[in-house]
Amino acid sequence: MTAWNLRPIASALWRNRTGALLVAFQIAIGLAVLVNAVYVVKQRVDKINRPNGMDVENMIVVASAGFAKDFDYDTSWREDLATIRGLPGVKAASLVSNIPLSGGGSSSGYQAEPGEMNPETVVEANTFSVDEQGVAALGITLSSGRAFEAHEIIPADKEKDWESAPQAIVTEALAKAVFPKDRNALGKTFYDGLNTPITIVGIIENMHGSWVGWDKVEHVMLFPRIKSGPNGVYLVRTEPGRRDAIMRTIEERLGTSNPGRLLRWVRPLTYFERQSYLNDRNMAIFLVSVTTALLAITALGIFGLATFNVSTRIRQIGTRRAVGARRLDIVRHFLVENWMVTTAGVVVGCGAALAVGYWISVKYELPRLDLYYLVGGAFAIWLIGLFAAWQPARRASAISPAVASRTV
Amino acid sequence: MFGYYLQLAFRNLRRNPGLTALMIGAVALGIAVCVMTLTMYRAMSGNPIWWKNDVLYAVTLDSWDPKDPYNEDKPELAPWQLTYRDATALMESDIPKRKLIMHKAIGVLALDGQAVKPERALTRVTTKDFFMMFDVPFQYGGGWTDAGDKGPEPVLVLSKKMNDKFFRGENSVGRRIRWDDREFRVVGVLDHWLPLPTFYDVNNGALEEPEDVYIPFGWSVPLELDSAGNTQGWKPEDIETYQEFLASETIWLQMWVELPDAASQQRFQAFIDNYASGQKQAGRFQRPLNNRLTKVDQWLIDNEVVENDDRVLVGLAFAFLAVCLLNTVGLLLAKFLNNAAITGVRRALGASRRQVFFQHLVEVGVISSIGAVLGLAIGGLLLMGLRALYAIDPTDAGGTQALAHVDLTSVVTALALAFFATIAAGLYPAWRIGRIPPAIYLKAQ
Repeated sequence: MTAWNLRPIASALWRNRTGALLVAFQIAIGLAVLVNAVYVVKQRVDKINRPNGMDVENMIVVASAGFAKDFDYDTSWREDLATIRGLPGVKAASLVSNIPLSGGGSSSGYQAEPGEMNPETVVEANTFSVDEQGVAALGITLSSGRAFEAHEIIPADKEKDWESAPQAIVTEALAKAVFPKDRNALGKTFYDGLNTPITIVGIIENMHGSWVGWDKVEHVMLFPRIKSGPNGVYLVRTEPGRRDAIMRTIEERLGTSNPGRLLRWVRPLTYFERQSYLNDRNMAIFLVSVTTALLAITALGIFGLATFNVSTRIRQIGTRRAVGARRLDIVRHFLVENWMVTTAGVVVGCGAALAVGYWISVKYELPRLDLYYLVGGAFAIWLIGLFAAWQPARRASAISPAVASRTV
Repeated sequence: MFGYYLQLAFRNLRRNPGLTALMIGAVALGIAVCVMTLTMYRAMSGNPIWWKNDVLYAVTLDSWDPKDPYNEDKPELAPWQLTYRDATALMESDIPKRKLIMHKAIGVLALDGQAVKPERALTRVTTKDFFMMFDVPFQYGGGWTDAGDKGPEPVLVLSKKMNDKFFRGENSVGRRIRWDDREFRVVGVLDHWLPLPTFYDVNNGALEEPEDVYIPFGWSVPLELDSAGNTQGWKPEDIETYQEFLASETIWLQMWVELPDAASQQRFQAFIDNYASGQKQAGRFQRPLNNRLTKVDQWLIDNEVVENDDRVLVGLAFAFLAVCLLNTVGLLLAKFLNNAAITGVRRALGASRRQVFFQHLVEVGVISSIGAVLGLAIGGLLLMGLRALYAIDPTDAGGTQALAHVDLTSVVTALALAFFATIAAGLYPAWRIGRIPPAIYLKAQ
């Protein structure tokens, strides 16, 4: 395989090693950043895109705050809900104690057996109080059981806000955690910290609670209760495509309907979803842009080195051409030279990528960096290197053999 | 001589415009990304009251569940809020120079007989030392006195924003305003104040803006105020009335003290240890004794205000700068060697190595200065982009928007860092070019 002429290329490279080494280091850093950035971005995107069980796109949250001295909370929420439910295009509306995906909520410990809480078996769950339209307003699917009925809803009572109700609708994930052995927990009874028995009347396929960063975000439980006042939060679900128009109508109607309260805001539920995932999303955007810029700069470095190498060797190239080298041989010479530099960088970069990957996996408690990413990253870098060196190599091959006989 | 070198530098820049543009671009991009990332990092993790770091302490007691630590991931920490009974007991101490207990609440501000719509306002319910302790600037008036807390007197302090809204920015001291249906008298108006992160209460996200209204802590009990932050308990207790809530193991209050020297710090530590031991004998505090006085910088780390995310970003910023610098070194080397023939002539005509070195260093200086100016401009654009990324809703002036308030210190730091790093990167090529024996380049002619 003398045609490849690896030895002379390597020795020519070694004579001018400083520039090549600098580029190899850039490539090493580029690879380490690329591989890990892609890995972290993948984790974030997966987290953002997991299904949350609700009809988020078609949901509205309305917040009302009563401030007048003799504010009649019960009349207020009844009137508000009647108004909202009467709007065309509204599927369901419910008074809720907390907003899913918003970062604000309450949680408590529960277990299958009565008696003192046992740290081994207690299960943390995120609780929401809703009314009889709660399940419909959330847009969740029940895999078994039923939604709450109007007569089960416990009236507002400030002193009992945080107590458990006798019935609950729980997610499958929560049911499994409380009753690990049973296949179907419907109809079963479990207990809170004050030994109140709670019976499961419905099971939700999947629903996310308040805190998207919590590893038990799927441990959600609904109670049939009207949260006490004077601040009311309503969750509204609309027919697809009508959300924004209905938001404006609600703002108009409720904004002036009651002088004793303040309509704090009317927002789509996606507002809270977006806010909760904001850091994940921004991190992904940030990593992608910075990594792209970094690779672009590395490519420019490769390009600069190759251009420099060509421009300092015009006479040698002319001489080689004059003694019989084809244009292809010249192109190949520079591409192989560049490939050697890239490969040196990739080898060092693999080590660096693994080290950074290890550090990140410890910091974020993520699984170790997948080796496929490393292989993919190495190929990407090889391609970028080839691409960046292509134009200088072509230019070199265009040098006329006559240059050899001219004085510069 | 310097002027001549400068002239030469500019002439050389024009000799290879492509290469020059590449170099300046790389330096500028490196600086821009560094400025942006460090601003972001500083906004998220800086200590906004560093000048009082040695005297301010957050007070925590481990009153938590005997079976489980408060924070599973950091079992060595005590819960970061206090129960009402513990907080009020510790407030009795005369050891600290200043001390406070506080919580967050929500109230509606309203002005009678005015066209201004009522506004829901986040409120800090605190004892009087808050303003002095955290060096809060006032535009008009000031805080309240001890009597304000004890009375409690119906007095409040407004943020600049609320004063602008309700009183059109006038001096409103002495004016009356309703807070949740009770009439209060304005005693002070804050000037612009944006400590980021809001270290004194990291409850609901440290990037939130400070509260809009401040009322004396004495109002908490008569108005039966709940915390608008986190309220947590571990013990199954039947809490029906507000009195039961106050007597319970529920934690909801924050406490800070100012201890001017080591002696007072030791005395106060002994005081709280003594208090906890007393409670232990009475059957509470069943966990090992763990009473902490935490400085602000440690407090931010303990409460994970400095997230892992941010550190990854800083690592990325430096990797980026490193690549840019390597690039610059390579390009400078290529550029200088390209002009080696001219340098050879200079050397042959009597320029010393030192002179050649300095001539090239001036060239590097010119490149990094242009790069720095350009980098600052790009960095500004990137920061605007960042602001857009963090804005959830254009109409909503959320706290996270404050993130992109340009922090001069971090901009200057990043700029200086990148500028000197570029100069340092130029040292090797400038030295290398000076080492070239002139004869080689003269022979070929």
